[in-house]
Amino acid sequence: MNQRPRLFLVITLLFFLLPVLILAAQSFSAPWRFPSGSGLDWELGSYEQLLQSPMLWKATFTSIWIGFIVLMLNVVIGVFTGKALTTVPLKGRPWVEALLLSPILIPVLAIAMGLHIFMIRAGLADTVLGVIIIHLVPTVPYSIKIFHNSYQQIGRAMLEQPHILGSGFFRQLFTIELPLLKPALRSVTFLTIVISLSQYAITAIIGGGRVLTLPLVFFPFLESADASVMSAFSLWFAVIPVVMYTLVEAVILLLPYSRLPWRNKR
Amino acid sequence: MKSFSLKPYLLFLPSVLFMLLPLYGLLTAVLNSFGRHRGWTLDYYRQIFESKRFVMSLAFSLQTALIATLLSILIGLVLTRSFYPILEKITPRVSVWIPMLFPHFVWGYLVILLLSETGVAAQLLTAAGWISDPQHFPVLTRDPHGIGIILTYVWKEVPLVILMLLPVYASIRPEYYALVDTLGGSVWNRITAVELPHLLPVLMETSLIIFSFTLSAYEVPALLGTTFPEMVSVLSYDWFYGSSWQKRPLAFAAMVSISFVLLVLSFIGYGYLNKARWRAVKGNRS
Repeated sequence: MNQRPRLFLVITLLFFLLPVLILAAQSFSAPWRFPSGSGLDWELGSYEQLLQSPMLWKATFTSIWIGFIVLMLNVVIGVFTGKALTTVPLKGRPWVEALLLSPILIPVLAIAMGLHIFMIRAGLADTVLGVIIIHLVPTVPYSIKIFHNSYQQIGRAMLEQPHILGSGFFRQLFTIELPLLKPALRSVTFLTIVISLSQYAITAIIGGGRVLTLPLVFFPFLESADASVMSAFSLWFAVIPVVMYTLVEAVILLLPYSRLPWRNKR
Repeated sequence: MKSFSLKPYLLFLPSVLFMLLPLYGLLTAVLNSFGRHRGWTLDYYRQIFESKRFVMSLAFSLQTALIATLLSILIGLVLTRSFYPILEKITPRVSVWIPMLFPHFVWGYLVILLLSETGVAAQLLTAAGWISDPQHFPVLTRDPHGIGIILTYVWKEVPLVILMLLPVYASIRPEYYALVDTLGGSVWNRITAVELPHLLPVLMETSLIIFSFTLSAYEVPALLGTTFPEMVSVLSYDWFYGSSWQKRPLAFAAMVSISFVLLVLSFIGYGYLNKARWRAVKGNRS
């Protein structure tokens, strides 16, 4: 039994931490040529090259903007549906749950191809709004699932209490539900942003190459940039969810019952 | 008088609006695959299933997705089962989830950086004298067997499997194990009598999610695959986005065929789960 933690440590270091450390080391040094006997050449050139690219900054802001709106819509749809699935009596509940999960079981590529013509007609093709809408498809089912689980953990008794005491929908939401949904909000933030950042094909189809997000810059970069720049770019992708997570954490602090100095005085 | 009230059902409004997107998208794709604008026909399906390129691609996609799914589930299950007391703590849990911080194609690039013929592993092995030249390193990325694609997917999905299974293991009450032990059961009995019934719904759902994703996602195969055989998603994307609009219906037919496979599988999966749940409620499990 004492072997267990050690084995776990070895597996984690080797398969989960080391790859990212190698990525970081490569991003801070010239492309490696070990067989020719050269070692590590520490430098910051790759970041200079990456961050000087105006396309990168534009794409970063577009991606963050899209990710933010997609996240807000996910929270709204997820909270409503999670509450509905927990409190509203339903026949054939398992099938409703399966149906709500189905958008991630159907290829999103097929959905995007199908919606493309509609987007052209509605004037949403090649626009940021169109891309935001299509990014909802692979993200919302996860959010619904996460919020549904959280609402079930809160339990119907807890949800009925404020209702019986006569508080309205939004008061229930902001004073009881959202504070208890904090862990769910964190998971949803994280998943939504990463999934939104992962979409190349559907962004290219609906955005028509006009809406430039980070993946659309990453793929062509592969042809031209060296290993150092690509590694720096790869790490750049992980920075965005972390920044977004921190921002959401700050917003969560504004909810009631958060540990804030000016609240604890009462 | 307060009879049937519609008000609570209003909570479903956002999700109903949202569901219109995928349903409309899929329906349009199906209609287009039957040649909506040029007269109804089965010709596009005949064309793709008669083309060797598509059939090979379909077989390759199914095989790659199946291997990636089974390996992810198996490795994730073994890791969660072996280490869940450790994974309850926050630091080990977060470190296992590191790959989830990166998009799939970024992890795909990492696999290229580490395991391509000019990659870090090949260079280190050459420098250490294990192989005489980096070119002797086995072809693991952009290979005809889909090894690179499978590696990337398994590496990325194992943390997801752990994420899904961990709450299940945490919720199994130790009394169940004690019961198996008092009745003289083995470790195998612990797995089949206690863990499997708890795990089955989650395992089924996770497998379906991973299989659908690996079968139909474009980014990773575009980065780590070859031109022959290629995944259906890459082929369809080429048909859809290629120079001539003539091939767009073929892209629709290909993606609809894949969707059909996935819908049938999901239906079987959820149907089986519902039946199992129903039997459990009735108390007749034999």
